[in-house]
Amino acid sequence: MMTSDAIETTRFGSVAFDVRDVVTLDEGFLGFPDAKRFIVLQHKEGSPFCWLQSVDAGDLAFLVIDPGHYVPDYAPDMPVDVAKQLELDEETPRLVYTIVTIPKGQPDDMTLNLAGPILINLENRLAKQVVVEDHRYPIRYKVFSQEKQGHSAA
Amino acid sequence: MLVLTRKVNQSIVIGDGIEVVVLEVRGEQVRIGIKAPRDVAVHRKEIYDQILEENVSASGTDVGDVPE
Repeated sequence: MMTSDAIETTRFGSVAFDVRDVVTLDEGFLGFPDAKRFIVLQHKEGSPFCWLQSVDAGDLAFLVIDPGHYVPDYAPDMPVDVAKQLELDEETPRLVYTIVTIPKGQPDDMTLNLAGPILINLENRLAKQVVVEDHRYPIRYKVFSQEKQGHSAA
Repeated sequence: MLVLTRKVNQSIVIGDGIEVVVLEVRGEQVRIGIKAPRDVAVHRKEIYDQILEENVSASGTDVGDVPE
């Protein structure tokens, strides 16, 4: 069986990948229910940002980051239904990503969706976008607060 | 969509083990109780809709806008 494949993407051109690296979301994403298979591409060498690139739709990719990078105490409760669906038990290695939204041309207005993190089971590579209802974690968490905007370099 | 009419304290049973009960009606608000197994997700619909909308916005993020 071929273990490598390639996808023609709009952002990165042709990207080759190992099929064993594919992350599968059985339900896709809310709004993109048919996009179930993704690969993780680092944005740039040394960058904390990554792209979740769909391997079924070349124009679909989400910018993601470990939420702990900007929100060190981010610790939403993990719902029982999610653990079951992803076959996660307490010791299963996992990764949490948050989707980053940057309005066109406005990097200072970058927000993180802390209410919809992506949980990945690193053993079986099943993943899901989890709905977190917690008043501490908004859908649009502003990374650069109003205060900082005045000081930050463009 | 199945449409049922209930009075306060009446319930609806869904599938195996999910029960929805009308607890109180006060003006425009209906207080609803949900008994479901822990492995079934229950959320207000608005949050799904908002996450969906945010996913759509996020899908337009450009490579060039990512901070160094």
